[in-house]
Amino acid sequence: MAFAAFSSTKSNGTSKPKKTGRVVIALLAPGLAYLGAFFLTPLIALIMVSLQAQDPYGGIGDYIPAFEINNYFLVITEYFPHMFRSFSYALIATILALLISYPLAYFIGVKARPYPLLQKLMLTLVIAPFFISFLLRTLAWKQIFSNESWIVTTLQDTGLLEADQYVVGTPFMVIFGLTYNFIPFMTLPLYTSLERLDTRYLEAGSDLYASPSKVFRKVTLPLSMPGIISGTLLTFIPIAGDYINASGDFLGSSSTAMLGNVIEANYLQINDYPSASALSVLLMGAILILVAGYVKKSGTEDLL
Amino acid sequence: MAKEFIARGADLELKKIRKEFPGFTAIEELDLHVPAGEFFALLGPSGCGKTTTLRLVAGLETPTSGQIFIGGEDETETKPHERPVNTVFQSYALFPHMNVLENVAFGLRQRKIDEPLVKAKEALNLVQLAHLADRKPQQLSGGQQQRVALARALVNRPSLLLLDEPLGALDLKLRREMQIELKAIQMEVGLTFLHVTHDQEEAMDMADTVAVMNKGRIEQMGAPEALYDRPKTVFVSKFLGQSNLLVGEVESTSANSVSIEVAGNKISVPKTRAEKHTGKIAIGFRPEKATFTNKKPAASSSTNIIGPGEIIDIRFTGVSNQYLIEVPELGNITVFAQNIGKSPVTELGEKVWISWSVEHSFGLSDLPNTGEAA
Amino acid sequence: MNQNLPEDPQLREMVKAALAHKVTRRAVLGGAVATSAAALLAACAPSDKAQLTPATDVSDSDPSLIWSNWSLYVDVDDAGNYPTLEKFKSETGISVTYREDYDDNDSYFGKVKDQLALGQDIGADLTCPTSWMAARWINAGYVQTFDEAELPNKKNVQPAYLGEAYDPQRTMSLPYQGILAGFAFDKKAYKDATGKEAPAVLADLWDPSLKGRIGVLSEMRDTVGIVLMDQGVKIGDANSLTEDAFMSAIDVIGQKVTEGQIARIKGNSYKDDLVNGDTIVAIAWSGDIIQLNAEAGYDRFGFVLPESGGTISADCFVIPMGATHKKNAEKLMNFYYDPYNAAVLAAYVNYITPVVGAKEEAMKLDPALAENQLIFPSEEFLSLTQGFRALDSKEEQAFTKAFQKIKLGA
Repeated sequence: MAFAAFSSTKSNGTSKPKKTGRVVIALLAPGLAYLGAFFLTPLIALIMVSLQAQDPYGGIGDYIPAFEINNYFLVITEYFPHMFRSFSYALIATILALLISYPLAYFIGVKARPYPLLQKLMLTLVIAPFFISFLLRTLAWKQIFSNESWIVTTLQDTGLLEADQYVVGTPFMVIFGLTYNFIPFMTLPLYTSLERLDTRYLEAGSDLYASPSKVFRKVTLPLSMPGIISGTLLTFIPIAGDYINASGDFLGSSSTAMLGNVIEANYLQINDYPSASALSVLLMGAILILVAGYVKKSGTEDLL
Repeated sequence: MAKEFIARGADLELKKIRKEFPGFTAIEELDLHVPAGEFFALLGPSGCGKTTTLRLVAGLETPTSGQIFIGGEDETETKPHERPVNTVFQSYALFPHMNVLENVAFGLRQRKIDEPLVKAKEALNLVQLAHLADRKPQQLSGGQQQRVALARALVNRPSLLLLDEPLGALDLKLRREMQIELKAIQMEVGLTFLHVTHDQEEAMDMADTVAVMNKGRIEQMGAPEALYDRPKTVFVSKFLGQSNLLVGEVESTSANSVSIEVAGNKISVPKTRAEKHTGKIAIGFRPEKATFTNKKPAASSSTNIIGPGEIIDIRFTGVSNQYLIEVPELGNITVFAQNIGKSPVTELGEKVWISWSVEHSFGLSDLPNTGEAA
Repeated sequence: MNQNLPEDPQLREMVKAALAHKVTRRAVLGGAVATSAAALLAACAPSDKAQLTPATDVSDSDPSLIWSNWSLYVDVDDAGNYPTLEKFKSETGISVTYREDYDDNDSYFGKVKDQLALGQDIGADLTCPTSWMAARWINAGYVQTFDEAELPNKKNVQPAYLGEAYDPQRTMSLPYQGILAGFAFDKKAYKDATGKEAPAVLADLWDPSLKGRIGVLSEMRDTVGIVLMDQGVKIGDANSLTEDAFMSAIDVIGQKVTEGQIARIKGNSYKDDLVNGDTIVAIAWSGDIIQLNAEAGYDRFGFVLPESGGTISADCFVIPMGATHKKNAEKLMNFYYDPYNAAVLAAYVNYITPVVGAKEEAMKLDPALAENQLIFPSEEFLSLTQGFRALDSKEEQAFTKAFQKIKLGA
C-alpha cells in the first residue's frame, strides 16, 4: 500500500498532459478511479478510525468519531520497542537478502548468459518456492529448527547453544525466516537489472586501470542500482509490516513481536481499532519517509 | 601497480599467438610487430580475427598460446587493468552513470594521478568538447561520444592506444572529419595506435602500416602504397581496392620478367613483382592502370594487351567511369577511366582491346578460386 | 476444507495451521474493510445499545441452514461427509451448509460485529462462540430467543450449564461442547526432563529442566484462569477474581515469558508444538489431547487437571438476529440434544458433552469411551473445575490488553 502510494506520486509527478487532454483523462480515469476507490477511500477511513475515541456507553470494540490525536502519542509510547524492532529486523533482513541475492543474481544474469538453459533452471529454482504456500514453508522452517531437531541438538552439543536455549522464537530465527521468505523479491529485480548490464562497460572499466573490485564498485554496482533500489524496497517494505514470521505461531515469540503483530493483536484480540489504525498509519508514514529519503540519497531517481 | 606515466608510445610485439574459442579457432598463428609511435591498422573483413587480436592486446582475452610484449615487457599474463594500454571501443562504452568529465577522469582516478579533473578537462579540450563536460553520455551525438571515448583513452597517455572500429557508427562525412582529427592527434601526441577496421580506405588513409588479416592470419603487411601497388595474395588484391586477375601456366621467362599465355594473349609481369615464377600463376592489374582502344595497339614488350572484348556495362561514378568488358575465355575485366572528357569509347557493345604496362602487373602467390570471375 | 488433508499427522497439522491462518489473514483484510465502512456509517448510526428485531424466518419454505463452526468440531467420515448432519437431513429434510470458519472468538467477532450491530445477516444462521463471547452477544442484544416448542430435547442439558448470569435458563444460548483446560504433557519427555510422572501443580511447570519447553493457550480465560486458581482465586467469583488478582496472575505469566520458561503462547496451533516435541508441558484443551493420542497411535500425551483445578467453559449455539432460518437451526440443536446423537458426536470430537443421557448411549457404543473422564467427566472430576466469571466490558478490555501485552513482549 505504501509502495503504491509512492509509485503513484512518482508517476503523477512525471506525467505531462499533452494537447489531447480529454483522451489522457479518459485513459487515466480507470486508474484514478481505482486509486480513489481502493487506495484513497480506505486510507481516509483508516485515518478516521485512528482518531476515534472509546464510546463511553458502548462495549468492547465500540468507538465513536472523534479527533483523538492523542491515540498516536499513546501507541508511540507504548509500542516504540516494536517499531524499532520492526525496522531493525527489516533492515537486517534486507541487507542479508541483498548480500545473498546479489552474487546469485549476478551469476544468473551475467555469468550464465552463454548458457540459457542454466539461466532458466536457476531462475526456476529462485521462483520455485513460490509454488508452495508461504505459510507452509515458514512452518517447515519451524519444524526444521524445532527444539528436538538435530540442528538444535547439535548446536547444543557443540556448546554454541546452552542446553536450555533453542532457535525457534529467537530474533535470529525471525530474521532468518524474513530473509528466506523475501529473497526472491530481491533476486528477481536484481536479476532483471543485471541481465541488462552491458559487460562492455566492465571491460571499459578494466581497460581504464580499474581492478576487478574497483570495476564492481565503480561500474557494476552503480549500473545495477535500479535493481538494488527496487529489490530493497520490495523486500524492506513488506518485511517492516510482516506479522507472520515474527508471530508466535510461526518462527517468533513474545520477544520478537513486530509492528504487524501489534496491529493484528490490537485489531483482532483487543478490538482496539483506533490504536491498530494509528499504528498502521504510522507504519505507512515511517516507510514512506524512509523510502523517500533512501531514494533521494541514492540519487537514482532518473534510473528508476 | 601504477605503471610509469608514459609520454611516448611503446612498441607491440605478438609472438606465435594462437587463440581458440570453443568450436572455432579465431587466430591460427600470429606474429606481429608494431614499432613505437606508429599508426598501425589491422584491416580485414568481419570474423577475420582482428578484433580478437585487439582484445588479446588489451588483456580482455587470454591467448591459447603465444606471447604479448608491450614496450619489451611480457604482458601475456597480466590483467587488463595492469596493462599500459587503453582502448576506444566500437560501442564507445561510455559509463552512462557518469558525466563526460568523470568518464574522462576515470582512468586517472584509478591510477591516482594528481588533479584528474584538470587533466580530464585538458583532454576534452583536445577533442574540442570541454563545453559538454557536465553532460551525460546519452545526451551526446555519436560523433561527440566517439571523441569523448578518445579523450577518455588518450588522457591516460597509454603506451599503446587500441582503436576498435571507433568510426564505424558514424556517417561518411563525420567519419572523414574524425579520421583527419584522429590522425592529427596521433601525430601530436606521438603514441602508438593500433587501429582495427574493415574499412580499407580508412586504413590506407590513416595508417603508417597496414596489416591485412584474413581467416585468423596476416596475409600481408606494409605501407598502404606498397600494399596497394603490389598485393601478394588474391585476398589482398581484392580486399584492398579492385583487381583484374588472369591465370595461366608460365610460358616463358626472361631475365626480367615472367610471362603466361591466356586466351592467346601473352601477359608478362616483372620478376621482381611476381611471387611465383613457375607453374600456374595469377597475374593481376588494377582497373585504373589499364586503358582500352577500339583498335588493337601495337605489340610491345612493355605492354600487356588482351582482347578484343565487348563493353557490357558502363558506370559513371563521378571522378571516373567504370567499364566492364567481357573478354571471351577470360571473363569480365574492369577498367577505370578518369573522367577528363576524352574517354576512348563510350558506347555499350563496342569491341575493344585492353592494355596496361607490364610494370603495373603483379604476380600473386596463390590462385583465385575456380569458378570465380577473374 | 479438511477433505483432502494429507495422511501424515504432522503434515496435516501443518496444513491445518496454514489453512487456519489463511482465514486469519483474510479476516484481517475483511475486518479492515468492514471497519472502514463502519467508520463511515458510524456518523449516522446510534451508539445506544442495539434495539434489534429478528429477521423473518423463512424456514418453512426453505429447508436449509448455514452453520459456522470451529474446525474439527463435528464428526467426519473418510469420504469427507458429516454422518450426523446427513442423518439430520434424512430425518428432517433440512440440508446443512457446514462451514469451518469460526477460527477464533475475537477475530470472528471482528469480522461480523458490524453486521451484528445492525441486525444484518452475518452469513450464518447458527454459530458457536465460546460462552464469554456468547455472553457478549446476548448482552448486546445480537441474538434471537429460542422457541421452546422446537427444542423439546433442551431438557437434556446438564444442570451445570444452567444458571449463568448472561442466560440462566438457556433461552438464547445452548452449550454445544464443554471445554476443559488443564495440563497436557508428553509423558516420556516429561519424565526424562524432571524424573516425575506427571505435573500436579503449576509450580511443576516452572521446573528449570523445562525452560523453554512450556506452552500456554492464547485463550486468556484458560491460561490466566489456571494461574489464578493456583493462587487460590475463585475465578467464578467477582469478589475473589478482582482486577488486582488478575494482574498479579498476569505478572507471573509475564515473568515466566520473560525468563524464557514459557516459550509459546498459542491458539489452536499449540498442538504442533506438542507433536514435534518443542513443548513438553502445555496448558491445553482436553479434547485435543485425546485426538493427538489417537493420531500418535499410543498414549503419548497425558492430560491432568492441576490440583488447584482447571477451567471449564463451553462453546454455545446462538442464532444471530439476522438469521433467516431460525426454526431449522432450532431443529438442529434439538437433534444434537438427543442423547444418542450427542454420544456419536462426543465419540468423534472428544470434548465434554453437555447432554444428559449421552454417557448411557456411549456405553452401548463403546464402553471405554464412556469411562473417559475427559469426555464424560464424573461429578468429582467436575468439582475440580471452575468457569471464568463474566467480565464487564471495561474489565474485559483491560484484562485482554494486559494479556496481549505478554504476547507482544516489551
